[in-house]
Amino acid sequence: MRVALFVTCLVDLMRPSVGFAALRLLEAAGCEVAVPETQTCCGQPAFSAGERGAAAALARKTIAEFEGFDYVVAPSGSCADHIRHRYPELLADDPAWCARAETLAARTWELTQFLADVLAVDTVAGKYDGSVTYHDSCSGLRGLGIKAQPRRLLGRVAGLTLKEMPEAEACCGFGGAFSVKFGDISAAIAAKKCANVQAVQAGAVVGGDLGCLMNIEGTLRRQGDEATRVLHVAEVLAGSNGKVA
Amino acid sequence: MRSQAMFFQRRAGAALADPQLQKKFAGLKGKFVDSRARAVAAYESDFDELRDAGRDIRDRVVANLDVWLELFEEKATQRGASVLWAKDGREICAHVLAIAQRHGVNKAIKSKSMLSEEAQLNAALSAAGVQPVETDLGEYILQIAGNEPPSHIIAPAAHKDLAEVADLFAATHHTPRKTEIPALTREAREVLREHFLSAGMGISGGNFLIAETGSVALVTNEGNGRMVTTLPKVHVVVTGIEKIVPTLEDFATLMRLLPRSATGQEISNYVSLCTGTKGPADADGPEHTYFVLVDNGRAGLLGSDFQEMLRCIRCGACMNHCPVYQSVGGHAYGWVYPGPMGAVLTSLYTGLENALDLPQASTLCNQCGVVCPVRIPLAELQRKLREQQSERGLRPWSERAALAAWAWVARRPALYALAAKLGVRYLNWLAGGEDRIRVLGLAPGWSTGRDFPAPQGRTFRELYQSRQESKA
Ligand code: SF4
Repeated sequence: MRVALFVTCLVDLMRPSVGFAALRLLEAAGCEVAVPETQTCCGQPAFSAGERGAAAALARKTIAEFEGFDYVVAPSGSCADHIRHRYPELLADDPAWCARAETLAARTWELTQFLADVLAVDTVAGKYDGSVTYHDSCSGLRGLGIKAQPRRLLGRVAGLTLKEMPEAEACCGFGGAFSVKFGDISAAIAAKKCANVQAVQAGAVVGGDLGCLMNIEGTLRRQGDEATRVLHVAEVLAGSNGKVA
Repeated sequence: MRSQAMFFQRRAGAALADPQLQKKFAGLKGKFVDSRARAVAAYESDFDELRDAGRDIRDRVVANLDVWLELFEEKATQRGASVLWAKDGREICAHVLAIAQRHGVNKAIKSKSMLSEEAQLNAALSAAGVQPVETDLGEYILQIAGNEPPSHIIAPAAHKDLAEVADLFAATHHTPRKTEIPALTREAREVLREHFLSAGMGISGGNFLIAETGSVALVTNEGNGRMVTTLPKVHVVVTGIEKIVPTLEDFATLMRLLPRSATGQEISNYVSLCTGTKGPADADGPEHTYFVLVDNGRAGLLGSDFQEMLRCIRCGACMNHCPVYQSVGGHAYGWVYPGPMGAVLTSLYTGLENALDLPQASTLCNQCGVVCPVRIPLAELQRKLREQQSERGLRPWSERAALAAWAWVARRPALYALAAKLGVRYLNWLAGGEDRIRVLGLAPGWSTGRDFPAPQGRTFRELYQSRQESKA
């Protein structure tokens, strides 16, 4: 089974450890993983900003790079959701491209969903000594229906206890460009999310989208919380727990 | 109401800085969000199926709005009511004032009508010598507070706390200050009773218009609606043309959705169906009934990308569940309708160029779309508004240029890799050896309330390449 890893731009730039953790998880599950070299950004930021032309151009580019594989997997609910649901819609006017978009969409998965639902992975390498709480990011949760999969997989991590925080499904306030354009509103929403994280006194908050995680981490640190770790679910499942492997 | 939506950013900032308001918002959210969740869980069958049914009813109406409106007009007229049409706020005021003049009215009691806010009807009535008296408790509070605009569509005075209302009542009614809610409610009732008995005209909104019977349905929790519609000799209903539903049965379906979504009630305290004028056998009811059916931008949505917005039944669930509304409240949005539905409606009804922030002021988390009882894709509509803003050149050029440059680079992998590498070096330099960046110069909005985590060091691309090379 040939799987292409879509690294996502934030992972590439900010936190390569997430990409390597995803790579290891897929390889451990028996996939032959390729990382197409020319990949850049899926175009979701342009699409959300209302720049349809730019988003369509990036969609075509991404399709061309990834369409030869059996599956495309991204450690991000929002990028996977974008490819899955938006590419066909963005290219709807162009029958040939639209067909290619639909084929790719049907093969594209968010990492935990792919591991749990497609590969039915039951054991993971990760070890974590302590408790974590899981934040449901909006696109993964509401766009792709990801809720049980990361929890089920985290349940397989040796030593890990999962504690549910209040309002785990509430938006963290990131919203891409929103976090910069409306910094004060975004920060206020993030502060509420962090209060919920702290309320359960877990050692770490874990999530599936790096944007949200950076938002939460930045807020916790600014508030002086140096103790609560902020980890991507791939890092916990693979056992790298934040280290570049 | 004149739109202040262009000041969203500033008004939002002020709301965030007001601890009193923040406390109030937190309480409100708890109330509405939790009670809706309980009501949905307790619903005897599948709430999502009910939402589908609600959506279908509303779609059926909107698809053939003219047909249903004609039927409504015919049925309402048969029952002795007059049906008038208004294309904008000015025409609403003109109709209502003409009716007031015809019947020699100098006082009008009102139950809640958001359209009268759209039209600034109270100001027009006052200017023409007709005293408007709001009888919904929330609206009454806002009226005596110097005609403040509502901050929520079903709890208009949601931004006021008990102490403020106590002060307001004592000052306005010249009575000893009371702080118990029942005592305050009783005091308002006493004051309003006098108005109920002396008003020549009642003005109401309408939650639904029922085509097959020519009736208006009013859904309230205070009972003021039925006094407004039955006591005065003249009853004027001011509603939007999209408020129509085909049959009583459809109305019953929507009534399963509306109170549960709005307040978490199975049914509201009062549901009135008013049909025509008082007949010879009726104990009460108005002698004259007028329907003012208002366009004010609605017809323009038919056949557009935003037609789905016309399904809205004004339950308020979207704002109750919106993280942005929960943080900044309704006044920040600057016009009659706040929250996600308001962001869409204000942009469409008052002009995209007058509400530049509203489509942007959303994380697109789509919690609103998940709770909307008629499945309006509110986040998607906000995103489409952003597209229109971009097409019409309504975004700052710097923003568009930055996005265009980013997209241009992202289509050139080698250049992109270089830019990523340099970007990461720059961020690491900003971090100065720490694991965080405290001031993000290029995006100051981020760092007012947060640090920015520093990149791990090198890009994934670089690390992966060297890993592959060492493997080989
Ligand atoms: S958009 Fe939906 S949730 Fe919002 S007020 Fe209208 S019906 Fe209610």
